This record gives sequence, C-alpha cells and structure tokens, in this order.
Amino acid sequence: MLVEFDLIQKAQQGDAGAFNQIVSAYRRRILGTISRLIGRPEDVEDVAQEVFIRLYFSLGQLRTAEVFEPWLYRLTVNASYDYLRKSRRRVESRMADLSEQQVMMADAVAGSRAQTEESEKRRVRDTVQELLGTVSKEDRILLTLKEVEGLSLKELEKIYQVNENALKVRLFRARQRVLKKMKEVTGPSSFIAKDEEAS
Amino acid sequence: MDTNRPMIPRSDERYDSLYSNQASLNEAKEASAELDNMFRAYRSACPDPEGSANFMPGIWAQIEAREVSTNWFGRVAKALVTAAVAASVILGMMASSSNQSNSFFDATFVEALRADHASTLEPLHIDRISYMEQQ
Repeated sequence: MLVEFDLIQKAQQGDAGAFNQIVSAYRRRILGTISRLIGRPEDVEDVAQEVFIRLYFSLGQLRTAEVFEPWLYRLTVNASYDYLRKSRRRVESRMADLSEQQVMMADAVAGSRAQTEESEKRRVRDTVQELLGTVSKEDRILLTLKEVEGLSLKELEKIYQVNENALKVRLFRARQRVLKKMKEVTGPSSFIAKDEEAS
Repeated sequence: MDTNRPMIPRSDERYDSLYSNQASLNEAKEASAELDNMFRAYRSACPDPEGSANFMPGIWAQIEAREVSTNWFGRVAKALVTAAVAASVILGMMASSSNQSNSFFDATFVEALRADHASTLEPLHIDRISYMEQQ
C-alpha cells in the first residue's frame, strides 16, 4: 500500500491535506491504469478526477486498510466503464480527427527515429485497442487489468467480489475472442517477427 | 460403405493426425505468446502520465460544486419533511377536536337507542285523543 492507514483515517475525518497526500500517492498509477483501460489520452485526466471525487465522497464507508486498494481499483473500473458506456466515439474515428494537412505533415516528418518509435507505439496502441474492441466493455476492462496491468486472480477476486473460477472462465473466453481477431488483423506471427527485427 | 477401408487407421495416418494436432497446438501456443507480447508492448506504449498542474485544483472545485448541490438538496428535503410533520400534526389536532364536539359518540348504546325511539315510545298526547274523540 502506498499510504498508511492513519492517513486514510485523517482524510475520513475531513483532513484535506491527508486527502491531497492520498491523491498524490495514487495519481500516476490511476492515470496510467485509466489510460490503458479507455485508450483515449485526452480524457484520462477527467476520468481520474472522477475516481478521486468518488473516493472522497465514499471514504467514510471504509473500515479496514487492506480493502483500500481493491476498492480504489473498483472505483477506477466503474468510472472507466461509465466513460466507455457513454463514449460513442470509436477507435476508427481517430484518423478522421486529423485534418488532411496534419496527416501530410505527419508523413513528411516521420523520418526521424523518435517519430518512428512514436508511430510504432501508436500502431501498437491502435492494434490493441482494435483487438479489445471485439469484446464487451466489461471483458475489455477485465482483460486489461489481468494482462496489461498484471493484477493476479486473487486481486481481481477482491475487486470484482466474484468467484475465481468465474473470472477464469470469463478471461479465457475473452482471450479466445481476442486471439481470433488478432489472426484476422495482424496475420501470423507479425509481432514476434517485429521483436526479432528489433533485437 | 467402403468395405476396403480398414477400421483401424494405418500407422502413417495416425502419425499424420498426431502431427496435425501437434502443429495446431504449437500454432495456438505461438498465437498466445504473440498476444502476450502485444500486451507487453501496449503496456510500454502507454506509460503512466503525470497529469496536468490543474489536476488537484480541478478535483477540489468539483468536490465543492457537488457539496453545494448536495447541501441544497438536503435543505429542500429537510424543509419538505418539516412541512409534512407540521401538516400531519395540524390534521391530527383537527380530527381529535371534531370527535370531541360530536356528543352522539359519547352516549351509551341504551341511551342512543332510547333517543332514537323516543317519539314512538312517548304516551299519546291529549290533543290527539281529543281530536280522535271528536271524529
């Protein structure tokens, strides 16, 4: 845990400074998780603010220290899910956001190494977002928490408060769907070949 | 039915089947490993952002805005509850006072019965008798 329970108790009693310290401690982690869950960098901060606001108003319900982090993750999951549910924009619309001139300029200056790396990262982000788009919003969040954030099944069990076996089944099905889509999108072994080229 | 076809597959057919199963298993493993690589690449392609300088002030501004609206709703709810309690007290008082003024319900059953049949039980009036005699 990144903060002591005393600090949480102070925040529960209305200490604004203690609440600020909690936000500072978890800010980067929550922003990172949200950015990977929703895949829209421009909206990450708004969703993270919503998470901490929900934390502020529900902090009084917290009784024990060990449930704080799973609880914060649950708030993050719920806020991200609400965002994804409300957001009607799709990954495909990203290129449409850019004007023709911007696309031409991006092509013209794409020669430098830094920009090549950035374009590679963008390609990875877009591909994974497209793959995750094939599963439901709930499964997308679950899969991202497990595979990208690296949370264990035990941690997910605490966050979702469901049986570990049910989580395993759901994760397996979601992963199978993503694998099927990956074969269609990337072709056989494209990423392994890329890694070998890079090394 | 093809009677020439042997019931037990030949040894080379079994090898073929095993080989194709093994090949598809390997393919599935490769695809799974590729997906794991892709998720790792995605993780490094989306580093943890720092957040803008306006992050914390933005949180407090929204908290205060919500507290104001919560307080307003709370005040309205309190006023409504107070009005409802006052109305029920007034209605209760009115109901009890109207019960007290109605003496019919204070009488016993015998008294009420006697009052109801007073006209039929009372003795005949002299005027009436004299009126009958005249006829």
